[in-house]
Amino acid sequence: MRQASKILGEILTWVVISLMIGLTVIVVAAVVWRKLGASLTWYDEVAGIMLAWITYYGASLAALKRSHIGFDDVLLALPHSSRKVAVVIAEILVISFFAILAWSGIQVLLILQGENLVSLPWVPIALTQSIIPIGAILFIIAELLSLPDYWRSVMAGRSTEHQPMAHGETPEKGDRS
Amino acid sequence: MIVLLMFLALVAMVCINVPIAVALCLSAVLAIVIDDGFSSLVTIALDMYNGARSFSLIAIPMFVLAGAIMNATGITRRLISFVSAVIGFVRGGLAMVNVAVSLFFAEISGSAVADVAAMGSIIIPEMKKRGYSAPFSAAITSSSASLAIIIPPSIPMILYAVAAGTSIEQLFIAGIVPGLIGAAGLMSVAYYYAAKYNLPTEDAFNLKQLRKTFIEALPTFTLPVIILGGIFGGYVTATEGAGVAVVAAILVGAWYREIDWKQLKLAMLEGGIQTAVVMLLVAASVLMGSYLTQARIPQQLASGILDITTNQALIFLILNVFFLVIGLFLHSAAAIILVVPIIVPLINQAGIDPVHFGLVVTLNLAIGQQTPPVASVLITACSIAKANIWEVSKANLPFIGVLLFVLMLCTYVPAIPMYLVETFYR
Repeated sequence: MRQASKILGEILTWVVISLMIGLTVIVVAAVVWRKLGASLTWYDEVAGIMLAWITYYGASLAALKRSHIGFDDVLLALPHSSRKVAVVIAEILVISFFAILAWSGIQVLLILQGENLVSLPWVPIALTQSIIPIGAILFIIAELLSLPDYWRSVMAGRSTEHQPMAHGETPEKGDRS
Repeated sequence: MIVLLMFLALVAMVCINVPIAVALCLSAVLAIVIDDGFSSLVTIALDMYNGARSFSLIAIPMFVLAGAIMNATGITRRLISFVSAVIGFVRGGLAMVNVAVSLFFAEISGSAVADVAAMGSIIIPEMKKRGYSAPFSAAITSSSASLAIIIPPSIPMILYAVAAGTSIEQLFIAGIVPGLIGAAGLMSVAYYYAAKYNLPTEDAFNLKQLRKTFIEALPTFTLPVIILGGIFGGYVTATEGAGVAVVAAILVGAWYREIDWKQLKLAMLEGGIQTAVVMLLVAASVLMGSYLTQARIPQQLASGILDITTNQALIFLILNVFFLVIGLFLHSAAAIILVVPIIVPLINQAGIDPVHFGLVVTLNLAIGQQTPPVASVLITACSIAKANIWEVSKANLPFIGVLLFVLMLCTYVPAIPMYLVETFYR
């Protein structure tokens, strides 16, 4: 499981980095072209699509690292037995949402078949929108792969939300306060 | 009724640590299913896709990346040397340097957490070595970094402008004067403590040293000129300016021959993840928003409050208190994305300028980054200083006081944020 999570993390890392580089190149190229008097007609549409791709590939990676914005103070204050139940419910909820999203994404792809982008007529819309079902399924996989570590830290009462030293640790010896 | 159910479901899910973005989506799904049945869920993929590709928000990954590249090059260190040469001779010199560098850093990077991580990791250990207490060092680093989010460029401002449908550029320019007033305030408080506890000065003022560090830092100063000059001069949009900032940061790094490739890779990855986390929230809010708008909730809220009072000052007071309270529990990005779309009709109908209000919200949430339990910036500073979060919070109270003072000033004297906006844009 560790191995699988490492491989998925590595793949997503490179996908996200490539998309970030690509987006930067496109934005800068668009400025240069516009200043030269020839606007890139496909710039807005393609840059928007890349942002959506960064969102969902990056969101899966964030799920793998459990770094989505949340609030765990209440959860960690619960007694042990109810904390277990709460974590199970939360995980089921998250996975169900992305299952619904994946299903909806596939339905939308079926409807959009045969249509192409306005600015780049050779690119099918279905390709650009494929990120929703793919991203949703990746999110579910990432959520499951990161569950064991998350489970252990929640049961040990460690916060994944705050950085180390957040709660009650003592400052270094010799510091004045 | 359904809205109440949605709200309760949302709170319950957030309490068991369902990510806020997912909790928003699930509440929307719940409402859609109750209203129109399961089959209407087909369209959620469209909302989630369209919500994530908002063109103006492309500025976010670009500014995150520009800041990250700055950290991967020697820019931060050179800035600190230069500012030390300028004001290090004052009592409590390093505290002054801390605030001044934050101001400068803020003009390039858009995120307070990035500022505190980059600057704090250099300056906090230095302050501790010179006899400043760890909580004091963490507190001033944290407050000055948060003040920096009202100084352009700023990611929370971009989010607000998109959520409220107002101009990013105008909001950027509105932040300049309040940012400077706040910095002066933080420096004054730091000076008071420095004099009281006899904190050290740095090297005596030396023109030769100043000239040397200035020349070394010179390429760094081109960054704010390019970014802010380009945007305010109308040569580029905020998004394009952000793209140019990335290239400029790489060029400056190359000039210094000091790009750490491994750190750059890490920076890009962190930038991508941060962007994704915020954008997933944005997409979720689009899903939620399309339901709420259809149910006319924002309009009902607006008329509900306007029935009680149409007094702008009172509405500002209510909203300020509200944002300060949610700032305790929510990250600034989440707070903006959740709340702003719902209160925009209220702002408009009450005749409040959305740019003015945007500045107030951003400043308010800057304070929220300082108030535990959820205080991203403060906690980052604590972990760098290896200081206890409550002791830092205690040391931080006077600085939070300064930020609150600036908030009141900007709320009730609109000319302070709006003068530059009126002069340049209206």
